Amino acid sequence: MFGLPLAFAAPAVLAALVGLAALYFLLRVTPPRPRQALFPPLRLLIGLDPKDTEPARTPWPILALRLAIGALIILAMAGPLWNSLAGLAGSGPLLVLIDDGWAAAPAFEKRIDYARQRMEGAARAGRAVAVKPLSQGAEAIAPLDMAEIEGRLRSLAPVPYAPARETALPAIQQFLAKEPKAEILWIADGVELGGASGFAARLQALTRSVEVVTDGAGARAIAGIDNEAGALAVRLSRSDRLAPAKGTVRALDAQGREVGRAPFDFGETLLTEARFDLPVEVRNDISRVVIDGERSAGATWLVDERSRRRRVAIASGASADVAQPLLAPNYYLKRALEPFADVSEWRDSSSDPIVSLLAEKPSVLALADMSVAPGPERDAILQFLDQGGVLLRFAGTRLAAGDDDLTPSELRRGGRLLGGALSWETPKHIAPFEAGSPFFGLAAPDEVTVSRQVLAEPDAALANKVWARLGDGTPLVTAGPRGKGLIVLFHVTADTTWSNLPLSGLFVDMLRRIVAKAGAPAAAADRKPGERAASLAPWRTLSGFGVLGPPPAQAEPIGDDFTGIGDALHPPGFYGAQESLSAVNALGQGQALARADYGALTVREGALAIAPPIDLRRWLLPAALIGLMIDALISAWLAGAAVFRRRGAVAALAFAAAVCAVSAPPSSWAAGPAGPHDMDAALSARLAYVVTGDPAVDETSKEGLIGLTRVLASRTSAELAEPIAVNPARDELAFYPLIYWPIVAGQSQPQAEARTRIAAYMKNGGTVVFDTRDALISHPGGAPTEEARWLRALLAGVDVPELEPVPRDHVLTKTFYLLDRIVGRTAIGQTWIEALPPADPNDKGRPARAGDGVSPIIIASDDLAAAWASDAGGASLYPLIPGGARQRELALRSGINLVMYTLTGNYKADQVHAKDIIERLTR
Amino acid sequence: MTITPSIRQDAATLSARLPSLVIAARKVAQTVRHGVHGRRRAGSGETFWQFRPFVSGEPSSRVDWRRSAREAHAFVREREWEAAHTVWIWFDRSASMRFGSSLSRTTKIDRAAMLALAFADLCVRGGERAGLLGLTRPLASQGVIERFAEAIATDERLHGASEAGLPPPAPAPSRSMTLLVGDFLCEPERTEQAMRAISAEGAIGELVLIVDPIEEVYPFSGNVEFLHPAGADRLVSPRAQNLRDAYLGRLAAHRDALRRICGRLGWGMSLHRTDASAAEVLLSLRVRLSTPEFGETRSA
Repeated sequence: MFGLPLAFAAPAVLAALVGLAALYFLLRVTPPRPRQALFPPLRLLIGLDPKDTEPARTPWPILALRLAIGALIILAMAGPLWNSLAGLAGSGPLLVLIDDGWAAAPAFEKRIDYARQRMEGAARAGRAVAVKPLSQGAEAIAPLDMAEIEGRLRSLAPVPYAPARETALPAIQQFLAKEPKAEILWIADGVELGGASGFAARLQALTRSVEVVTDGAGARAIAGIDNEAGALAVRLSRSDRLAPAKGTVRALDAQGREVGRAPFDFGETLLTEARFDLPVEVRNDISRVVIDGERSAGATWLVDERSRRRRVAIASGASADVAQPLLAPNYYLKRALEPFADVSEWRDSSSDPIVSLLAEKPSVLALADMSVAPGPERDAILQFLDQGGVLLRFAGTRLAAGDDDLTPSELRRGGRLLGGALSWETPKHIAPFEAGSPFFGLAAPDEVTVSRQVLAEPDAALANKVWARLGDGTPLVTAGPRGKGLIVLFHVTADTTWSNLPLSGLFVDMLRRIVAKAGAPAAAADRKPGERAASLAPWRTLSGFGVLGPPPAQAEPIGDDFTGIGDALHPPGFYGAQESLSAVNALGQGQALARADYGALTVREGALAIAPPIDLRRWLLPAALIGLMIDALISAWLAGAAVFRRRGAVAALAFAAAVCAVSAPPSSWAAGPAGPHDMDAALSARLAYVVTGDPAVDETSKEGLIGLTRVLASRTSAELAEPIAVNPARDELAFYPLIYWPIVAGQSQPQAEARTRIAAYMKNGGTVVFDTRDALISHPGGAPTEEARWLRALLAGVDVPELEPVPRDHVLTKTFYLLDRIVGRTAIGQTWIEALPPADPNDKGRPARAGDGVSPIIIASDDLAAAWASDAGGASLYPLIPGGARQRELALRSGINLVMYTLTGNYKADQVHAKDIIERLTR
Repeated sequence: MTITPSIRQDAATLSARLPSLVIAARKVAQTVRHGVHGRRRAGSGETFWQFRPFVSGEPSSRVDWRRSAREAHAFVREREWEAAHTVWIWFDRSASMRFGSSLSRTTKIDRAAMLALAFADLCVRGGERAGLLGLTRPLASQGVIERFAEAIATDERLHGASEAGLPPPAPAPSRSMTLLVGDFLCEPERTEQAMRAISAEGAIGELVLIVDPIEEVYPFSGNVEFLHPAGADRLVSPRAQNLRDAYLGRLAAHRDALRRICGRLGWGMSLHRTDASAAEVLLSLRVRLSTPEFGETRSA
């Protein structure tokens, strides 16, 4: 409005400004009341001829003030919004397209805010509005009315894949056919992924008025990891040079705990790498790699068994002192395996090679042309197979001559060996791999030839065991389960004497897939060929924000040969059984992000960063009120009541101050209950809670502690007085055995003196129970929640002892009831307590352990007070999650134990000696 | 300037404040007595005056035998002349008096009552009798202040607050003195009538004008609505400051008129501002009481 970023919710009210003119005349002729003065000699005045008979006029400052008050009220009634977007006017219906692939996830709230403001602005201006998230391509576009905008936008969430934007075009076309004058606003993520450029071109062809808004920062993503010999390399890609160049990647294990951190720096490029230098055992624990602080499915790389680095032990039948070590099968194997596995060779000639190699716990044992004779070696291998190991064998003269049953199928042995007997005209090529084979998808190069091989005994089951064949159908690689493990046999040697396969890249790829099988359940191996690939049901999938959760309803199982990237039907995540998960990621290995090219469309970069609209009413109305008060004061002064003026002014100022205090946004640390109640507090023991400033939370704390106090009084001898609210910045804390402190992240941190008071309280033996109440939203090892960060900031200046999750034998779980864990409104959060000294090994049978004193700090996350809160009849005030009377009872028991712990300390732990003490006393 | 209703309310119930006024009156009377009198008053007013030789022809019963027995002559015991001078006191208790501005610490009526009571005490201690005009008979007792206060309180209880701006037009006995305390802001002619009625039998008197400072200063300006304390009249003046000179002129004329009336009747007149000391005016009244024109009527 007027070129200002100012919008009015009810512009019609502004017409009332005309009334100000009438007000002007009205005010001018009605002067303020004259000052009244008692004057006994009035008789002397009467009859005096006042020379001026002109009626008094309202003085102009008052007139101006009153007109200003009128204007302010009218403006406030019109609902002014100071909104930087309001200036962007337009006409015709507004269609908002929102990119909601994972690339949009990091700033998704900003996008939604922007969309909301633009849509509400347009709706206020009477334009039809509609919104189209581009992942919902096929759905028709329906106009929304003002009330629906908020709900519709709230329902949007980024999807964990990059939706193909083209699919939305028909719906857009349909909409444009109905509303030819529509303007299109495309809130884009700036990443080419999902066909942004093509979509932009098609969009431009459809209509002329398209505005593209991006946040100008593009996206960062993990494009694969390489489990290399020495380190885990994480490939990172960004779509735009404006995206932050530096950052950290974190590696998390299956429980979400952080395994390692590695910094990266894009510099000026779009691709970079971060390396985790970790021992291979630790690296194999990694189940996720995430970019720290980047919330998106693309910034999360799920690691499954396939990319774990395996330890492969190589043993050869050849004698240790091979004349030509560079031509030995060991050497070929080692070179082929090293890029993706940790190879260990038998070096010590003094010990039994296989037993000593298996002692190193490899995943794969490769035997190059070696026959296994019954004895400790064979027993060790059988045990290894039973534990799920993979035995990888290569043929050769020793195997052909030997007689062991550690092969997938019976081999033709003895004098019927191939070689001279089978004479081929030409060496054979490898046939293309069949669909059921683990090698399916690898190219079988023509230059690979096989000139000799061992033959399998034809047998009905043989066909199921063949993974690779030669051109004439004879098996090249066979595999069969044994115990939980797998035996894979290459019917050729690991060196080049029988074939040149070991020289080809195919050999490496084949070995890679075999090694990847290690640890995978053997069930996959004995699948019948031609059978459809086993389907792996989704187990946990990523949300668009990169958080693992239950799979959505439309997620479909993948085949175990699935190699693609995540899409709508197969969202990124883990698939299959929990012990052998296959990962699907949002990006392909090595895929690079590119910046979207929007062609000739109008692009406004970085325009998403807008300030929220400011409702000017909250300033205008108090201003009008203050104006009214000033006017009242002036009028009173003009009316001239001497005493009244003094008292009235004070009262008016006090009122004004009160109004200002109320209308001002709640300041940092809202005032707690008035007055120090130390006297009261000192007279009886009671629980206390910290006033957070959030009335709902404070009410919950109060109700909760009241409920707990009630239960304590009825079940235990701890009859505490009414709980009390404390403000650590003001109140003395020393009187309370336990202070419950719910964390509200939105509030500002208490002042420094509050922190010193807390520190002193904790030092002097008090116990603070912090409750982050975030058990539902936090995921272990993930980014700390707002509450956790707030608590960290609070405790930054406080000497906090080392903490640990409450151990099962901690005295806290024994003080009154025997509990397994602390339970609150939720039952999944972790409760932390001061770490106990390590258990005394001489004290094995002791059921409870305690430190020297009471833990000064207990950090819960289960929203304890809400679980305790009950009405007078004992009915719970808040629903529990998952719920049930049992959980509520456990929550109350947790509370009773907490209070008993703070009141009795390690008494219960010492009580285990009671028997001995009594015995000694009776002696 | 103006007074709040609460203070007017206070002033309306004079009896409520009488105890403190009694004390204040006694205190100020004490001050004045010590200043002027207090030299030879011990034993005054006793019945014995002097012995004089018996003159033949007198009734023999007058002979004081006890005294005569000591000498050869007979003596007559002469007694003091019992007829003391009477002072009639009246003070204005009307609404106009119940006014006190912020320039003074007291209302006019308080000051008037204090002056009246203190003067009564002064007179009684000086040997005269004092009475409240229209309320009490002349009293000579020590507790005159309390008696007066009681009388006022009774009157207020029975008849409500007095609204009479002038004393009742009953003539005071001759050779008595009348003290009128008030603001006398009504027409001078009416005041003159009242004074003439009082002095119809030859009594003389003294007029004390109680003035609030604001009535002389007139600090008003701007749009002011003037109200009479009795609530009868009002005057709105858009520019009150313009009336100041005319008002002050009228005030001076009014006082001149009163002064002339007093001169004609032989009364004295004094002006007392409520921000001045009460002892001051009391002292001057006492001095006037001892001047020759009163002196001849004094018993001592």
